[in-house]
Amino acid sequence: MEVQLKNDKSKFKSTEVEKAIPLEYDLGNLAAFDTNPIDPKALKKGKDDFLKQLTRDNAQLIMNAIFNLPTKSSEDGVFATLPEPTTVIPREKPVPKEKILTRWEKFAKAKGIQKKKRSRFEYDEETGEYKARYGYDHTKNKEEIPEDWLIEVPKNADPMEDQYEKRANEKKERIESNKKRQKRNQEEAEAIRKNINPREARKQELLNKSLIAKTSTASLGRFDKKLKNEPKVKNQGIRKHRDSNTGDMKAEKEKTLEILEKTIEKKK
Amino acid sequence: MLRTIKPKNARSKRALKNREPKVEENPKQAIFIRGSSTNQIVNTALSDLCSIKKPYSIMFSKKNAIHPFDDQSSLEFFSQKNDASLFCVGTNSKKRPNNLVFVRMFDYQVLDMIELGIENFKSLHDFKSTKSSIGMKPLFVFNGELFEQREEYKKLKNMLLDFFRDEVAESVNLKGLEYIISVTAEPVANPTDFGKVFFRVYTIQMKKSGTKQPRIELEEMGPSFDFVFRRNRFAGEDVMKEATKIPKELQAKKVKNITHNDVGDKMGRIHMKKQNFDNLQTRKMKALKKKFNKVEENNKEEPSTKKAKTA
Repeated sequence: MEVQLKNDKSKFKSTEVEKAIPLEYDLGNLAAFDTNPIDPKALKKGKDDFLKQLTRDNAQLIMNAIFNLPTKSSEDGVFATLPEPTTVIPREKPVPKEKILTRWEKFAKAKGIQKKKRSRFEYDEETGEYKARYGYDHTKNKEEIPEDWLIEVPKNADPMEDQYEKRANEKKERIESNKKRQKRNQEEAEAIRKNINPREARKQELLNKSLIAKTSTASLGRFDKKLKNEPKVKNQGIRKHRDSNTGDMKAEKEKTLEILEKTIEKKK
Repeated sequence: MLRTIKPKNARSKRALKNREPKVEENPKQAIFIRGSSTNQIVNTALSDLCSIKKPYSIMFSKKNAIHPFDDQSSLEFFSQKNDASLFCVGTNSKKRPNNLVFVRMFDYQVLDMIELGIENFKSLHDFKSTKSSIGMKPLFVFNGELFEQREEYKKLKNMLLDFFRDEVAESVNLKGLEYIISVTAEPVANPTDFGKVFFRVYTIQMKKSGTKQPRIELEEMGPSFDFVFRRNRFAGEDVMKEATKIPKELQAKKVKNITHNDVGDKMGRIHMKKQNFDNLQTRKMKALKKKFNKVEENNKEEPSTKKAKTA
Protein backbone atom coordinates (compact mmCIF):
# COMPACT_ATOMS: atom_id res chain seq x y z
CA MET A 1 0.00 0.00 0.00
CA GLU A 2 2.70 2.42 1.09
CA VAL A 3 4.77 1.64 -1.95
CA GLN A 4 1.87 2.40 -4.18
CA LEU A 5 1.35 5.80 -2.57
CA LYS A 6 4.98 6.66 -2.98
CA ASN A 7 4.80 5.80 -6.65
CA ASP A 8 1.69 7.86 -7.00
CA LYS A 9 3.44 10.90 -5.60
CA SER A 10 6.57 10.54 -7.62
CA LYS A 11 4.52 10.82 -10.80
CA PHE A 12 4.43 14.54 -10.12
CA LYS A 13 7.24 16.91 -9.35
CA SER A 14 7.69 17.75 -5.70
CA THR A 15 6.30 20.83 -3.97
CA GLU A 16 9.03 20.78 -1.38
CA VAL A 17 11.89 23.27 -1.40
CA GLU A 18 14.83 23.31 0.94
CA LYS A 19 16.26 26.59 2.20
CA ALA A 20 19.09 27.22 4.64
CA ILE A 21 17.23 30.16 6.18
CA PRO A 22 13.46 29.85 6.06
CA LEU A 23 11.66 32.65 4.25
CA GLU A 24 9.85 35.44 5.99
CA TYR A 25 6.30 36.00 4.82
CA ASP A 26 3.94 38.90 4.73
CA LEU A 27 0.92 37.00 3.47
CA GLY A 28 -1.35 40.03 3.89
CA ASN A 29 0.59 41.55 1.00
CA LEU A 30 1.24 38.15 -0.64
CA ALA A 31 4.94 38.76 -0.21
CA ALA A 32 7.89 36.61 0.76
CA PHE A 33 11.38 37.76 1.74
CA ASP A 34 14.26 35.44 1.06
CA THR A 35 17.32 36.42 3.08
CA ASN A 36 19.51 33.57 1.94
CA PRO A 37 22.77 34.88 0.46
CA ILE A 38 22.93 34.68 -3.31
CA ASP A 39 25.86 32.96 -4.95
CA PRO A 40 27.46 35.62 -7.19
CA LYS A 41 29.15 33.05 -9.44
CA ALA A 42 25.95 31.21 -10.21
CA LEU A 43 24.25 34.52 -10.87
CA LYS A 44 26.91 35.56 -13.36
CA LYS A 45 26.91 32.24 -15.15
CA GLY A 46 23.35 32.24 -16.32
CA LYS A 47 21.53 35.20 -14.87
CA ASP A 48 18.05 34.70 -16.25
CA ASP A 49 17.92 30.97 -15.61
CA PHE A 50 19.26 31.44 -12.11
CA LEU A 51 16.72 34.14 -11.32
CA LYS A 52 13.91 32.04 -12.72
CA GLN A 53 14.93 29.01 -10.68
CA LEU A 54 15.33 31.08 -7.51
CA THR A 55 11.97 32.73 -8.02
CA ARG A 56 10.30 29.41 -8.77
CA ASP A 57 11.52 27.93 -5.51
CA ASN A 58 10.39 30.95 -3.55
CA ALA A 59 7.09 31.11 -5.42
CA GLN A 60 6.55 27.47 -4.51
CA LEU A 61 7.19 28.27 -0.85
CA ILE A 62 4.88 31.27 -0.75
CA MET A 63 2.20 29.30 -2.60
CA ASN A 64 2.51 26.49 -0.08
CA ALA A 65 2.05 29.04 2.69
CA ILE A 66 -0.99 30.55 0.99
CA PHE A 67 -2.56 27.16 0.34
CA ASN A 68 -2.15 26.33 4.01
CA LEU A 69 -4.23 29.34 5.06
CA PRO A 70 -7.84 28.78 6.12
CA THR A 71 -10.07 28.81 3.07
CA LYS A 72 -13.66 29.56 2.22
CA SER A 73 -15.26 28.28 -0.91
CA SER A 74 -17.93 30.10 -2.85
CA GLU A 75 -19.38 30.05 -6.35
CA ASP A 76 -16.38 31.87 -7.78
CA GLY A 77 -13.81 29.48 -6.38
CA VAL A 78 -11.81 28.84 -3.27
CA PHE A 79 -10.74 31.91 -1.30
CA ALA A 80 -7.87 31.93 1.16
CA THR A 81 -8.38 34.24 4.10
CA LEU A 82 -5.33 36.44 4.38
CA PRO A 83 -3.88 37.68 7.65
CA GLU A 84 -3.27 41.40 8.29
CA PRO A 85 -0.32 42.82 6.35
CA THR A 86 2.76 43.12 8.53
CA THR A 87 4.93 45.39 6.39
CA VAL A 88 4.46 48.99 7.46
CA ILE A 89 3.43 50.91 4.40
CA PRO A 90 2.75 54.63 4.65
CA ARG A 91 -0.76 55.90 4.20
CA GLU A 92 -1.87 57.97 1.25
CA LYS A 93 -3.62 60.62 3.30
CA PRO A 94 -3.50 61.52 6.99
CA VAL A 95 -5.72 59.77 9.49
CA PRO A 96 -9.17 61.39 9.34
CA LYS A 97 -9.82 63.94 12.04
CA GLU A 98 -12.50 63.15 14.51
CA LYS A 99 -15.75 64.92 13.75
CA ILE A 100 -16.56 67.67 16.23
CA LEU A 101 -20.00 66.97 17.62
CA THR A 102 -22.70 69.58 17.89
CA ARG A 103 -24.37 70.21 21.23
CA TRP A 104 -27.34 68.08 20.24
CA GLU A 105 -25.15 65.23 19.03
CA LYS A 106 -23.23 65.30 22.31
CA PHE A 107 -26.46 65.21 24.26
CA ALA A 108 -27.91 62.43 22.12
CA LYS A 109 -24.77 60.39 22.56
CA ALA A 110 -24.84 60.78 26.31
CA LYS A 111 -28.49 59.84 26.43
CA GLY A 112 -28.16 57.07 23.92
CA ILE A 113 -30.61 58.58 21.48
CA GLN A 114 -30.23 57.15 18.03
CA LYS A 115 -31.20 58.71 14.76
CA LYS A 116 -34.13 56.96 13.19
CA LYS A 117 -34.32 56.75 9.46
CA ARG A 118 -37.61 58.08 8.26
CA SER A 119 -38.89 55.93 5.45
CA ARG A 120 -39.33 57.62 2.13
CA PHE A 121 -42.78 56.06 1.68
CA GLU A 122 -45.74 56.50 3.90
CA TYR A 123 -48.92 54.51 4.16
CA ASP A 124 -51.91 56.48 3.06
CA GLU A 125 -54.87 55.17 4.99
CA GLU A 126 -57.50 56.71 2.77
CA THR A 127 -56.38 55.15 -0.47
CA GLY A 128 -54.65 52.17 1.13
CA GLU A 129 -51.52 52.74 -0.87
CA TYR A 130 -47.98 53.76 -0.14
CA LYS A 131 -47.19 57.32 -1.13
CA ALA A 132 -43.88 59.15 -1.23
CA ARG A 133 -43.51 61.51 1.68
CA TYR A 134 -41.74 64.08 -0.47
CA GLY A 135 -40.13 64.44 -3.87
CA TYR A 136 -41.19 62.57 -6.97
CA ASP A 137 -44.72 61.14 -6.95
CA HIS A 138 -45.73 62.58 -3.63
CA THR A 139 -48.66 64.23 -5.46
CA LYS A 140 -51.00 65.93 -3.17
CA ASN A 141 -54.40 66.59 -4.57
CA LYS A 142 -54.64 70.29 -5.17
CA GLU A 143 -58.37 70.29 -4.72
CA GLU A 144 -58.05 68.49 -1.45
CA ILE A 145 -58.96 70.55 1.56
CA PRO A 146 -55.85 71.38 3.58
CA GLU A 147 -55.46 69.78 6.97
CA ASP A 148 -55.52 73.05 8.84
CA TRP A 149 -58.55 74.54 7.22
CA LEU A 150 -59.88 74.95 10.73
CA ILE A 151 -57.92 75.63 13.90
CA GLU A 152 -59.49 75.33 17.28
CA VAL A 153 -58.98 78.46 19.41
CA PRO A 154 -57.47 77.45 22.74
CA LYS A 155 -59.63 77.96 25.77
CA ASN A 156 -57.90 80.93 27.37
CA ALA A 157 -56.73 82.56 24.18
CA ASP A 158 -57.80 85.92 22.95
CA PRO A 159 -60.65 85.20 20.49
CA MET A 160 -59.54 87.99 18.18
CA GLU A 161 -56.03 86.54 17.79
CA ASP A 162 -55.26 85.16 14.36
CA GLN A 163 -54.27 81.54 14.96
CA TYR A 164 -52.83 81.17 11.45
CA GLU A 165 -50.54 84.11 11.93
CA LYS A 166 -49.55 82.82 15.32
CA ARG A 167 -48.54 79.50 13.82
CA ALA A 168 -46.56 81.16 11.08
CA ASN A 169 -44.78 83.38 13.59
CA GLU A 170 -43.92 80.44 15.80
CA LYS A 171 -42.42 78.63 12.87
CA LYS A 172 -40.37 81.66 11.93
CA GLU A 173 -39.03 81.89 15.46
CA ARG A 174 -38.12 78.25 15.48
CA ILE A 175 -36.19 78.66 12.27
CA GLU A 176 -34.43 81.72 13.63
CA SER A 177 -33.40 80.07 16.85
CA ASN A 178 -32.22 76.99 15.01
CA LYS A 179 -30.05 79.15 12.79
CA LYS A 180 -28.57 80.76 15.87
CA ARG A 181 -27.77 77.37 17.33
CA GLN A 182 -26.23 76.28 14.07
CA LYS A 183 -24.01 79.33 14.09
CA ARG A 184 -23.02 78.69 17.69
CA ASN A 185 -22.14 75.10 16.88
CA GLN A 186 -19.96 76.24 14.00
CA GLU A 187 -18.18 78.79 16.15
CA GLU A 188 -17.60 76.29 18.89
CA ALA A 189 -16.28 73.72 16.44
CA GLU A 190 -13.88 76.31 15.04
CA ALA A 191 -12.61 77.12 18.51
CA ILE A 192 -12.10 73.44 19.32
CA ARG A 193 -10.23 72.97 16.07
CA LYS A 194 -7.91 75.81 17.12
CA ASN A 195 -7.54 74.19 20.53
CA ILE A 196 -9.23 77.02 22.42
CA ASN A 197 -11.93 76.63 25.00
CA PRO A 198 -15.14 77.67 23.16
CA ARG A 199 -16.29 79.72 26.14
CA GLU A 200 -13.03 81.65 26.19
CA ALA A 201 -13.23 82.21 22.45
CA ARG A 202 -16.73 83.61 22.79
CA LYS A 203 -15.62 85.87 25.62
CA GLN A 204 -12.72 87.20 23.62
CA GLU A 205 -14.90 87.85 20.62
CA LEU A 206 -17.42 89.76 22.69
CA LEU A 207 -14.68 91.85 24.23
CA ASN A 208 -13.24 92.70 20.84
CA LYS A 209 -16.67 93.69 19.59
CA SER A 210 -17.31 95.88 22.59
CA LEU A 211 -14.00 97.67 22.03
CA ILE A 212 -14.94 98.33 18.42
CA ALA A 213 -18.34 99.57 19.50
CA LYS A 214 -16.70 102.08 21.84
CA THR A 215 -14.90 103.82 19.05
CA SER A 216 -18.23 104.67 17.48
CA THR A 217 -19.25 107.28 20.04
CA ALA A 218 -18.36 110.95 19.60
CA SER A 219 -15.70 110.74 22.31
CA LEU A 220 -14.34 107.44 21.05
CA GLY A 221 -15.34 105.83 24.31
CA ARG A 222 -13.57 108.30 26.57
CA PHE A 223 -16.65 109.00 28.69
CA ASP A 224 -18.20 105.54 28.47
CA LYS A 225 -18.77 103.42 31.50
CA LYS A 226 -15.85 101.14 32.04
CA LEU A 227 -16.48 97.42 32.02
CA LYS A 228 -15.17 95.15 34.70
CA ASN A 229 -11.67 93.94 33.80
CA GLU A 230 -11.65 95.98 30.63
CA PRO A 231 -8.23 95.97 29.04
CA LYS A 232 -6.50 99.31 28.65
CA VAL A 233 -6.48 100.51 25.09
CA LYS A 234 -3.70 102.71 23.89
CA ASN A 235 -4.71 106.12 22.54
CA GLN A 236 -8.33 105.58 23.41
CA GLY A 237 -10.40 108.69 23.02
CA ILE A 238 -7.80 110.56 21.03
CA ARG A 239 -9.16 111.91 17.86
CA LYS A 240 -7.04 112.69 14.84
CA HIS A 241 -7.75 116.20 13.66
CA ARG A 242 -7.48 116.59 9.97
CA ASP A 243 -6.59 119.92 8.37
CA SER A 244 -9.41 121.65 6.68
CA ASN A 245 -9.58 121.33 2.94
CA THR A 246 -9.85 125.06 2.36
CA GLY A 247 -7.75 127.85 3.77
CA ASP A 248 -4.02 128.05 4.25
CA MET A 249 -2.58 127.79 0.73
CA LYS A 250 0.97 128.57 1.81
CA ALA A 251 1.16 125.74 4.33
CA GLU A 252 -0.27 123.31 1.80
CA LYS A 253 2.25 124.32 -0.82
CA GLU A 254 5.10 123.80 1.64
CA LYS A 255 3.80 120.41 2.56
CA THR A 256 3.53 119.16 -1.00
CA LEU A 257 6.97 120.53 -1.86
CA GLU A 258 8.39 118.72 1.11
CA ILE A 259 6.94 115.43 -0.10
CA LEU A 260 8.27 116.06 -3.58
CA GLU A 261 11.75 116.75 -2.29
CA LYS A 262 11.73 113.62 -0.21
CA THR A 263 10.77 111.45 -3.13
CA ILE A 264 13.40 113.00 -5.40
CA GLU A 265 16.04 112.45 -2.74
CA LYS A 266 15.04 108.86 -2.41
CA LYS A 267 15.35 108.32 -6.12
CA LYS A 268 18.85 109.68 -6.10
CA MET B 1 -2.94 74.49 -4.50
CA LEU B 2 -6.16 73.72 -6.30
CA ARG B 3 -9.17 75.80 -5.57
CA THR B 4 -11.51 74.18 -3.13
CA ILE B 5 -14.55 72.90 -4.94
CA LYS B 6 -18.00 73.05 -3.49
CA PRO B 7 -20.04 70.19 -4.92
CA LYS B 8 -23.11 71.25 -6.84
CA ASN B 9 -24.82 67.91 -7.12
CA ALA B 10 -24.98 64.60 -5.33
CA ARG B 11 -22.70 62.82 -7.78
CA SER B 12 -19.82 65.26 -7.42
CA LYS B 13 -20.42 65.32 -3.70
CA ARG B 14 -19.97 61.56 -3.57
CA ALA B 15 -16.87 61.79 -5.74
CA LEU B 16 -15.31 64.40 -3.47
CA LYS B 17 -16.22 62.42 -0.40
CA ASN B 18 -14.38 59.46 -1.87
CA ARG B 19 -11.23 61.58 -1.94
CA GLU B 20 -11.36 62.59 1.71
CA PRO B 21 -9.03 60.94 4.19
CA LYS B 22 -10.45 57.61 5.27
CA VAL B 23 -9.80 55.07 7.96
CA GLU B 24 -9.45 52.31 5.41
CA GLU B 25 -7.95 53.86 2.36
CA ASN B 26 -8.62 53.42 -1.33
CA PRO B 27 -5.98 51.56 -3.32
CA LYS B 28 -3.25 53.94 -4.36
CA GLN B 29 -3.50 55.29 -7.88
CA ALA B 30 -0.31 55.59 -9.89
CA ILE B 31 0.52 58.10 -12.61
CA PHE B 32 3.08 57.21 -15.26
CA ILE B 33 4.51 60.32 -16.72
CA ARG B 34 7.21 61.29 -19.21
CA GLY B 35 9.78 63.93 -18.41
CA SER B 36 10.92 66.60 -20.83
CA SER B 37 13.06 64.19 -22.84
CA THR B 38 12.57 60.48 -23.15
CA ASN B 39 13.51 57.66 -25.45
CA GLN B 40 11.91 54.47 -26.69
CA ILE B 41 13.17 52.38 -23.79
CA VAL B 42 11.76 54.70 -21.16
CA ASN B 43 8.45 55.04 -22.97
CA THR B 44 7.88 51.31 -23.29
CA ALA B 45 9.06 50.78 -19.73
CA LEU B 46 6.47 53.26 -18.52
CA SER B 47 3.65 51.77 -20.54
CA ASP B 48 4.59 48.23 -19.45
CA LEU B 49 4.62 49.16 -15.78
CA CYS B 50 1.35 51.00 -16.32
CA SER B 51 -0.28 47.92 -17.78
CA ILE B 52 0.85 45.81 -14.83
CA LYS B 53 -0.57 48.33 -12.42
CA LYS B 54 -3.93 48.53 -14.19
CA PRO B 55 -6.68 49.41 -13.24
CA TYR B 56 -5.10 51.68 -10.66
CA SER B 57 -2.90 53.50 -13.13
CA ILE B 58 -3.07 56.56 -15.32
CA MET B 59 -0.77 57.01 -18.30
CA PHE B 60 0.16 60.54 -19.27
CA SER B 61 0.93 60.39 -22.94
CA LYS B 62 2.47 63.85 -23.30
CA LYS B 63 5.82 65.10 -22.15
CA ASN B 64 5.96 67.23 -19.05
CA ALA B 65 8.84 69.36 -17.86
CA ILE B 66 9.15 67.53 -14.58
CA HIS B 67 12.30 67.31 -12.49
CA PRO B 68 11.20 65.55 -9.32
CA PHE B 69 14.42 66.22 -7.41
CA ASP B 70 14.42 69.95 -8.15
CA ASP B 71 10.81 70.98 -8.17
CA GLN B 72 7.90 68.98 -6.84
CA SER B 73 5.16 71.51 -7.43
CA SER B 74 3.84 69.90 -10.62
CA LEU B 75 3.82 66.47 -9.01
CA GLU B 76 1.80 67.89 -6.16
CA PHE B 77 -0.58 69.44 -8.63
CA PHE B 78 -1.08 66.22 -10.59
CA SER B 79 -1.48 64.29 -7.37
CA GLN B 80 -4.28 66.51 -6.19
CA LYS B 81 -5.94 66.76 -9.56
CA ASN B 82 -6.04 62.99 -10.14
CA ASP B 83 -6.21 61.84 -6.54
CA ALA B 84 -3.10 59.78 -7.15
CA SER B 85 -0.31 59.18 -4.69
CA LEU B 86 2.21 57.21 -6.71
CA PHE B 87 4.28 58.48 -9.61
CA CYS B 88 6.67 56.92 -12.01
CA VAL B 89 8.55 59.57 -13.96
CA GLY B 90 10.60 58.49 -16.96
CA THR B 91 13.41 60.64 -18.35
CA ASN B 92 16.45 60.23 -20.51
CA SER B 93 19.45 62.54 -20.50
CA LYS B 94 23.16 62.34 -21.20
CA LYS B 95 23.94 62.47 -17.50
CA ARG B 96 21.30 59.96 -16.48
CA PRO B 97 20.26 57.77 -19.40
CA ASN B 98 17.10 55.63 -19.17
CA ASN B 99 15.93 56.98 -15.89
CA LEU B 100 12.89 56.05 -13.82
CA VAL B 101 11.92 57.94 -10.68
CA PHE B 102 9.50 56.26 -8.32
CA VAL B 103 7.71 58.82 -6.16
CA ARG B 104 5.32 58.37 -3.29
CA MET B 105 3.07 61.10 -1.95
CA PHE B 106 1.54 61.63 1.44
CA ASP B 107 -1.22 64.16 1.82
CA TYR B 108 -0.45 65.42 -1.72
CA GLN B 109 3.15 66.15 -0.71
CA VAL B 110 6.18 64.19 -1.83
CA LEU B 111 7.05 61.59 0.79
CA ASP B 112 10.00 59.80 -0.76
CA MET B 113 11.65 59.28 -4.13
CA ILE B 114 13.96 56.66 -5.55
CA GLU B 115 15.70 57.12 -8.87
CA LEU B 116 16.67 54.04 -10.80
CA GLY B 117 18.55 53.65 -14.03
CA ILE B 118 17.37 51.01 -16.50
CA GLU B 119 19.89 48.61 -17.93
CA ASN B 120 19.00 45.61 -19.98
CA PHE B 121 15.34 46.28 -20.52
CA LYS B 122 12.98 43.77 -22.06
CA SER B 123 9.42 44.73 -22.73
CA LEU B 124 6.22 42.88 -22.01
CA HIS B 125 5.82 42.29 -25.74
CA ASP B 126 9.30 40.80 -26.18
CA PHE B 127 8.19 37.71 -24.30
CA LYS B 128 5.91 35.43 -26.22
CA SER B 129 4.07 34.07 -23.24
CA THR B 130 0.68 34.13 -21.60
CA LYS B 131 0.00 37.38 -19.82
CA SER B 132 -1.85 37.80 -16.57
CA SER B 133 -5.29 39.32 -16.73
CA ILE B 134 -5.96 42.88 -15.62
CA GLY B 135 -6.53 43.69 -11.98
CA MET B 136 -4.98 40.55 -10.49
CA LYS B 137 -3.05 40.88 -7.28
CA PRO B 138 0.60 40.01 -7.73
CA LEU B 139 2.71 37.86 -5.46
CA PHE B 140 6.02 39.36 -4.40
CA VAL B 141 9.31 37.80 -3.67
CA PHE B 142 12.37 39.77 -2.59
CA ASN B 143 15.59 37.82 -2.86
CA GLY B 144 18.84 38.73 -1.21
CA GLU B 145 19.98 39.59 2.26
CA LEU B 146 20.58 43.22 1.24
CA PHE B 147 16.84 43.88 1.42
CA GLU B 148 17.08 43.33 5.17
CA GLN B 149 20.38 45.05 5.77
CA ARG B 150 20.73 48.27 3.81
CA GLU B 151 18.51 51.30 4.23
CA GLU B 152 18.25 52.08 0.49
CA TYR B 153 17.29 48.51 -0.34
CA LYS B 154 14.74 48.43 2.45
CA LYS B 155 13.15 51.60 1.12
CA LEU B 156 13.14 50.23 -2.40
CA LYS B 157 11.45 47.07 -1.17
CA ASN B 158 8.81 49.07 0.64
CA MET B 159 8.33 51.34 -2.37
CA LEU B 160 7.88 48.50 -4.86
CA LEU B 161 5.55 46.65 -2.53
CA ASP B 162 3.50 49.78 -2.08
CA PHE B 163 3.55 50.51 -5.79
CA PHE B 164 2.24 47.20 -7.09
CA ARG B 165 0.25 45.66 -4.26
CA ASP B 166 -3.01 47.44 -5.16
CA GLU B 167 -5.79 47.03 -2.64
CA VAL B 168 -5.38 45.30 0.71
CA ALA B 169 -7.56 42.22 0.44
CA GLU B 170 -9.07 40.18 3.22
CA SER B 171 -9.20 37.09 1.10
CA VAL B 172 -7.81 36.06 -2.23
CA ASN B 173 -9.02 33.65 -4.87
CA LEU B 174 -6.52 30.83 -5.14
CA LYS B 175 -7.03 30.63 -8.88
CA GLY B 176 -6.50 34.39 -9.19
CA LEU B 177 -2.84 34.22 -8.19
CA GLU B 178 -1.59 34.67 -11.70
CA TYR B 179 1.76 36.38 -11.56
CA ILE B 180 4.70 37.06 -9.36
CA ILE B 181 7.03 40.04 -9.16
CA SER B 182 10.51 38.96 -8.26
CA VAL B 183 13.06 41.52 -7.12
CA THR B 184 16.59 40.30 -6.58
CA ALA B 185 19.48 42.26 -5.12
CA GLU B 186 22.82 41.47 -6.67
CA PRO B 187 25.32 40.57 -3.94
CA VAL B 188 28.07 43.16 -3.46
CA ALA B 189 31.64 42.62 -2.37
CA ASN B 190 32.03 45.96 -0.64
CA PRO B 191 29.36 46.80 1.96
CA THR B 192 29.05 50.40 0.75
CA ASP B 193 28.68 49.53 -2.93
CA PHE B 194 25.40 49.25 -4.70
CA GLY B 195 24.71 46.25 -6.85
CA LYS B 196 22.13 45.91 -9.55
CA VAL B 197 18.55 45.09 -8.73
CA PHE B 198 16.86 42.58 -11.00
CA PHE B 199 13.16 43.17 -11.49
CA ARG B 200 11.39 40.24 -13.14
CA VAL B 201 7.76 39.38 -13.65
CA TYR B 202 6.60 35.81 -14.19
CA THR B 203 3.23 34.21 -14.75
CA ILE B 204 2.44 31.32 -12.47
CA GLN B 205 1.28 27.94 -13.65
CA MET B 206 -0.15 25.57 -11.11
CA LYS B 207 0.46 21.90 -11.84
CA LYS B 208 -0.78 18.80 -10.08
CA SER B 209 1.50 17.58 -7.35
CA GLY B 210 -0.45 14.86 -5.62
CA THR B 211 -0.65 17.01 -2.50
CA LYS B 212 -2.83 19.88 -1.36
CA GLN B 213 -0.39 22.44 -2.69
CA PRO B 214 0.14 22.67 -6.42
CA ARG B 215 3.50 22.38 -8.11
CA ILE B 216 4.49 25.83 -9.35
CA GLU B 217 6.07 26.49 -12.71
CA LEU B 218 6.95 29.96 -13.97
CA GLU B 219 7.04 31.59 -17.34
CA GLU B 220 8.59 34.99 -17.81
CA MET B 221 5.97 37.53 -18.74
CA GLY B 222 7.94 40.78 -18.68
CA PRO B 223 8.78 43.53 -18.30
CA SER B 224 12.27 42.78 -17.10
CA PHE B 225 14.69 45.39 -15.80
CA ASP B 226 18.16 45.48 -14.38
CA PHE B 227 18.01 48.54 -12.19
CA VAL B 228 20.90 50.59 -10.87
CA PHE B 229 20.52 52.95 -7.95
CA ARG B 230 20.83 56.65 -8.62
CA ARG B 231 19.62 59.56 -6.52
CA ASN B 232 17.07 59.21 -3.76
CA ARG B 233 15.27 61.30 -1.21
CA PHE B 234 13.65 59.74 1.82
CA ALA B 235 11.02 61.11 4.14
CA GLY B 236 11.88 62.77 7.42
CA GLU B 237 11.21 60.86 10.57
CA ASP B 238 8.29 62.97 11.74
CA VAL B 239 6.56 62.87 8.35
CA MET B 240 7.00 59.11 8.17
CA LYS B 241 5.59 58.80 11.67
CA GLU B 242 2.55 60.80 10.64
CA ALA B 243 2.16 58.71 7.49
CA THR B 244 2.36 55.37 9.25
CA LYS B 245 -0.07 56.24 12.01
CA ILE B 246 -2.73 53.62 12.54
CA PRO B 247 -6.21 55.06 13.06
CA LYS B 248 -7.83 54.38 16.40
CA GLU B 249 -10.52 52.28 14.76
CA LEU B 250 -8.03 49.84 13.31
CA GLN B 251 -5.88 49.42 16.38
CA ALA B 252 -6.28 46.08 18.06
CA LYS B 253 -8.36 46.34 21.19
CA LYS B 254 -6.69 45.42 24.43
CA VAL B 255 -8.15 42.23 25.82
CA LYS B 256 -8.53 42.41 29.55
CA ASN B 257 -8.17 39.55 32.01
CA ILE B 258 -7.30 36.92 29.42
CA THR B 259 -3.76 35.59 29.20
CA HIS B 260 -2.09 32.72 27.47
CA ASN B 261 0.66 30.79 29.16
CA ASP B 262 3.67 29.19 27.50
CA VAL B 263 1.94 25.89 26.92
CA GLY B 264 -0.80 27.65 24.99
CA ASP B 265 -3.53 27.42 27.59
CA LYS B 266 -5.98 30.25 27.81
CA MET B 267 -6.21 31.71 31.29
CA GLY B 268 -9.02 33.93 32.41
CA ARG B 269 -9.20 36.05 35.49
CA ILE B 270 -12.63 36.64 36.99
CA HIS B 271 -13.66 38.93 39.78
CA MET B 272 -16.30 37.70 42.20
CA LYS B 273 -18.15 38.87 45.25
CA LYS B 274 -17.29 37.39 48.61
CA GLN B 275 -18.80 33.94 48.73
CA ASN B 276 -21.19 32.85 51.42
CA PHE B 277 -19.91 29.50 52.58
CA ASP B 278 -23.12 28.67 54.39
CA ASN B 279 -24.92 28.27 51.10
CA LEU B 280 -22.06 26.61 49.35
CA GLN B 281 -23.04 23.61 47.31
CA THR B 282 -20.72 20.78 48.20
CA ARG B 283 -20.77 17.33 46.78
CA LYS B 284 -24.24 15.93 46.42
CA MET B 285 -24.96 12.68 48.22
CA LYS B 286 -28.13 10.73 48.22
CA ALA B 287 -28.07 10.25 51.95
CA LEU B 288 -28.01 13.99 52.57
CA LYS B 289 -31.05 14.75 50.42
CA LYS B 290 -33.81 16.79 51.98
CA LYS B 291 -36.51 14.24 51.39
CA PHE B 292 -34.77 11.79 53.71
CA ASN B 293 -34.90 14.46 56.36
CA LYS B 294 -38.61 14.79 55.82
CA VAL B 295 -39.20 11.11 56.13
CA GLU B 296 -37.54 11.12 59.48
CA GLU B 297 -39.64 14.05 60.58
CA ASN B 298 -42.76 12.35 59.30
CA ASN B 299 -41.98 9.35 61.29
CA LYS B 300 -41.70 11.45 64.42
CA GLU B 301 -44.94 13.39 64.08
CA GLU B 302 -47.31 11.62 61.85
CA PRO B 303 -50.30 13.94 61.60
CA SER B 304 -48.40 17.00 60.44
CA THR B 305 -47.48 15.97 56.90
CA LYS B 306 -48.76 19.25 55.52
CA LYS B 307 -46.63 21.28 57.85
CA ALA B 308 -43.53 19.41 56.89
CA LYS B 309 -44.15 20.21 53.26
CA THR B 310 -44.40 23.88 53.87
CA ALA B 311 -41.44 24.00 56.19
